[in-house]
Amino acid sequence: MPDYPIYRDPPEQCRTPDAEERSLWGRTLERIADHCRARSLFVLHYCTGCGAIELPPSMTSRFDLERVGMQPMVTPRQADLLLITGYLSVKTLKRVILTYEQMQGPKYVMGFGSCTINGGMYWNSYATVKRLDQYLPVDMYIAGCMPRPEAIQQAFLQLMEKIDSGRAQNWKEYYRRYDHYLGEQQALFGEQFHTPTDVIGEARHYSLFGPETLGEHTAKLAKYDLYHPGQGAVDALEVKR
Amino acid sequence: MSKSLPTPLEGVFRRVPGVRWRQQAERHLRVELSEAENLPALLALLKGEAGYRHLSAISCVDWPDADEFELVYHLDSYTTQVLISAHIRLPAAPGRYVSVSGLYRPAGFFERDIHEMFGVQFEGALDLRPFILTEWGGPPPMRKSFDTEGYVRDHYQWVDYGPEWLAELEKRGGGIVE
Repeated sequence: MPDYPIYRDPPEQCRTPDAEERSLWGRTLERIADHCRARSLFVLHYCTGCGAIELPPSMTSRFDLERVGMQPMVTPRQADLLLITGYLSVKTLKRVILTYEQMQGPKYVMGFGSCTINGGMYWNSYATVKRLDQYLPVDMYIAGCMPRPEAIQQAFLQLMEKIDSGRAQNWKEYYRRYDHYLGEQQALFGEQFHTPTDVIGEARHYSLFGPETLGEHTAKLAKYDLYHPGQGAVDALEVKR
Repeated sequence: MSKSLPTPLEGVFRRVPGVRWRQQAERHLRVELSEAENLPALLALLKGEAGYRHLSAISCVDWPDADEFELVYHLDSYTTQVLISAHIRLPAAPGRYVSVSGLYRPAGFFERDIHEMFGVQFEGALDLRPFILTEWGGPPPMRKSFDTEGYVRDHYQWVDYGPEWLAELEKRGGGIVE
């Protein structure tokens, strides 16, 4: 018998937390994380619409976004908040979806101006998308054509408050109801539409796999053998709950 | 406003049959050709003899009552410094014309655009694949016969907006006028 103490793994005096306690811990940590997230938002602008012109005044010295912890970010993979500043044509929506899917969770989307709400002044244009929330989960809209920097500032503060209190959970909906969103996208772009992002795999990774993640629309992806080349697409899309 | 043409233009117009011209502004001529097939000859002569090296744009107008498309070729010359807009008319069916991309290479883009927006076929064009409307499956959208609102109704959804103050307004006989 050695004269030094032997540590077992796990040590006997530690108890294993039960499921309820574990979830309570998880929620507490998430709450703290949300508190921090709300104060450090990296913003990715999708500036194809006229809303882009209202952002420089919001960012520069007069209104100064940096004092509330927001900064522009150049790549989707490092951004938290996607700003859709203005109208989206059918063609740019495709790029927006791709951009959104590249962002890491938790991620937030903000629709800017009346164009993202109802098409705005492009309400009868054949090439302009009318409702952004049909294709992506939107956390907040700013009404106006265009919203002034004061309104933008107000919306950012409201979004921060929403994130802080844990109510900005829409990004989870994209995983839980991926089939619904993909269906809307396919209705616009054609049945063969898909992105190279493995949304279903991510849903599993984040434990956000819901009953509506897979469905009739995702079934159409099966023939493309997208995410696990060689293994067979059906394997990759099988339902694991 | 001067009424006399620059010398090289006079010679060109005399040699192409069915040319009528009208001075729009001091340095802008509107040229109409009664026979559409004479246009490539006119362009070739303008380019060769009057220095019209620059094709600014080709535009298209749909005239649904006459069942015709009007093509307008805008040309500019650094020699004469007079802008020429050459107008021709084509029957809407079958809506075919020849490409002038052999003469002016930038015409390829304008023709591709017009083909996409109006459905005019250009024989011998460089490329007539979809250009801007890559996601488009419907009829050519710039034709007058295209029902934009009907298309929007069929393909998009709107958010219903019925706030209380509007309902109150409508009760009193006001509201949104359709």
